[in-house]
Amino acid sequence: MMLFKIGFRNILRNRRRSAMTGLAVLAGTQAILLFGGFEANVFEGLETGAVQRTGHLTAFREGYFLYGAGNPSAYGIDDYRGVIRLVSEDRVLKPLINVVTPTLSLVGIAGNYSGDTSAAKTFLGVGFVPSDRAQMRAWNEHRVTLASSEAPLKDDDPSIGFVGLGIGRILGLCSPLKIANCPQVPDPPSDRPVPDSPNQDFKDLQESDVPKDGNLSHAGMPRLDLLGATANGAPNVVGFYVSSANPQGVKELDENVIGMHLSLAQQLVYGRSTPKVTGITVQLRRTEDLEMARSRLNALFRENGMKLDLRDFGDLNPFYVQVKRFFGSLFLFIAAIMGVIVLFTIVNTMTMAVLERTAEIGTTRALGVKRGGIRRQFLLEGALLGALGATAGVIVAALAASAINRAGIQWTPPGNAQATPFTVALWGRIALMVGTWIALTLIATLAAWLPANRAAKLQIVDALRHV
Amino acid sequence: MVPNQVDSVVRLRGVAKTYRVGSVDVEALRGVTLDIHKSRFSVVIGPSGSGKTTLLNVIGAIDAPTQGSVELCGQDLGLLKDDTLSDFRARHVGFVFQGFSLMPVLSAYENVEYPLLLVGMPASERKDRVLSMLEAVGLTDQRHRRPNELSGGQKQRVAIARALVKRPDVVLADEPTANLDTRTGASIIELMRNVQEKFRTTFVFSTHDPQLMSHSDETFTVKDGQLVTQGAHP
Repeated sequence: MMLFKIGFRNILRNRRRSAMTGLAVLAGTQAILLFGGFEANVFEGLETGAVQRTGHLTAFREGYFLYGAGNPSAYGIDDYRGVIRLVSEDRVLKPLINVVTPTLSLVGIAGNYSGDTSAAKTFLGVGFVPSDRAQMRAWNEHRVTLASSEAPLKDDDPSIGFVGLGIGRILGLCSPLKIANCPQVPDPPSDRPVPDSPNQDFKDLQESDVPKDGNLSHAGMPRLDLLGATANGAPNVVGFYVSSANPQGVKELDENVIGMHLSLAQQLVYGRSTPKVTGITVQLRRTEDLEMARSRLNALFRENGMKLDLRDFGDLNPFYVQVKRFFGSLFLFIAAIMGVIVLFTIVNTMTMAVLERTAEIGTTRALGVKRGGIRRQFLLEGALLGALGATAGVIVAALAASAINRAGIQWTPPGNAQATPFTVALWGRIALMVGTWIALTLIATLAAWLPANRAAKLQIVDALRHV
Repeated sequence: MVPNQVDSVVRLRGVAKTYRVGSVDVEALRGVTLDIHKSRFSVVIGPSGSGKTTLLNVIGAIDAPTQGSVELCGQDLGLLKDDTLSDFRARHVGFVFQGFSLMPVLSAYENVEYPLLLVGMPASERKDRVLSMLEAVGLTDQRHRRPNELSGGQKQRVAIARALVKRPDVVLADEPTANLDTRTGASIIELMRNVQEKFRTTFVFSTHDPQLMSHSDETFTVKDGQLVTQGAHP
């Protein structure tokens, strides 16, 4: 008790110096926590976006992940309904799962030959079940604020889908889809040959293969013709109405992605043959169950002789992993700099304290305090300075985070298509706050070790003679 | 820790102490042999630089002799390691320093209480002991004051109380009146003499003021590191 009393009073003895030292610890704590809170928000935003798009786990036919992009139709999963039923009805997985849904990836050429427009573009297509996709897009375990950039589609109208902003622009859909930033299309460079219009070919294919719309209403929606090759290699075309152009966040995706109803995608890829899918996506309720679900799914596939390969959202979204690593490194770098600042500040302060109190050290040693007692005294003072500074830092960081979150600042996180509120997610981050507090208090204590040790090693008579 | 000679609290035999100052060896003590008897009020006198402080430091186990042996309360100090020496000082030796050397962040009460905490005395006993000691030095009313709120004489009274509160076998006072005016110095010596008689403590103090010799039971004169005279007063 006396040790604490003396330590605390010694801190107050040189108030200005202690305040400056405490401020350095406070600033270090605050910087780490604010960046940590911001980083956590970015991670959660990225994770939410990735999981909304691709779920937590996707089962592919073996080989698809590495080679499937070249020929998606060749890697179709035959009895995908059976796989979905197996997964959905498993008693272990059932409580963990939010959505199990089939997806079909494909490549093809999209053309717009309505009116005076004649434009074509290769595309990367994804077929999905609209209601399942809507349910996946609603997943928000971390309750982050993400602007929705996708209008929901209907299960009962397979001919409606969406396009990326860029491909919409290229295909001349600016006006009907109200795409911003659509200047007058420039003339193509004169030194390049102008390709023959495939208009008539598309129309011929369309008439032979596309069913009539019947009584479905597509008023105001532009129509595209999607040309693909079936699994057998034959050309196929389907008609497709575009409900919206959605930003994808990355230019390459914006200029290539077309989202459509699963049955339309299957019609394009498999024609009248048995429809398949390229992936079965599993979205869990909580990300922390991922490993448990992975292990169970692998066991299920093995037990049922299914040659399926499971990939998680990190595998499917390498950008997420890269950004996470980048921010993680940045956090460590900032934390290390703050740690070094705190270390040197405390070393300096405690060295001054030992110098000023040398005669006092001699007196207490003469009275019977052991070397260890002197060491403990200065270590405690370093720890107290660190703890007080870190405590103030946690409080100030919480207030600053609250002020930042209320300021309404907007920014576009990496990989996001639209601006979201700039948020420092500090509230509830007990591990971050406690960890930072402990780390900086520990650094302060360790920083006091050298001066404390020097104080403990002083010869009593030399210390008493010190003026 | 049974004394070799019951009556002798301090026994020095052929004690020498050499300091290295730069490249020069300075002999602060040269073959000092002396005995200080229990419950005596002894004074070590000599001019500045004669070795008085070194002698007291060696007796008080805060400095080790280069040669010779020092026994305090029958314990050969040369046999003790640093931590054991600290414990030994905490229990058996009290110090009064020339510059008072009070802990500035503690009140007068807490300064006096501090040595009792080192020996692990229970709180209730500690309180009684501190209050009675402060009363003995006349500082009951000033007990909550910090050293910077006390006069020089009051500070030295606190230092005396701190030295005596644990009832040590020997109290060593190194020129306790050097930083005080004559009148205050005299009152401090008188106080030391009174509390020494009251608690029957062995008191050894150094001074270069020959007038203070009259207060002592025994005088040791040190010159150039050697004990030149030793005499008892009636």
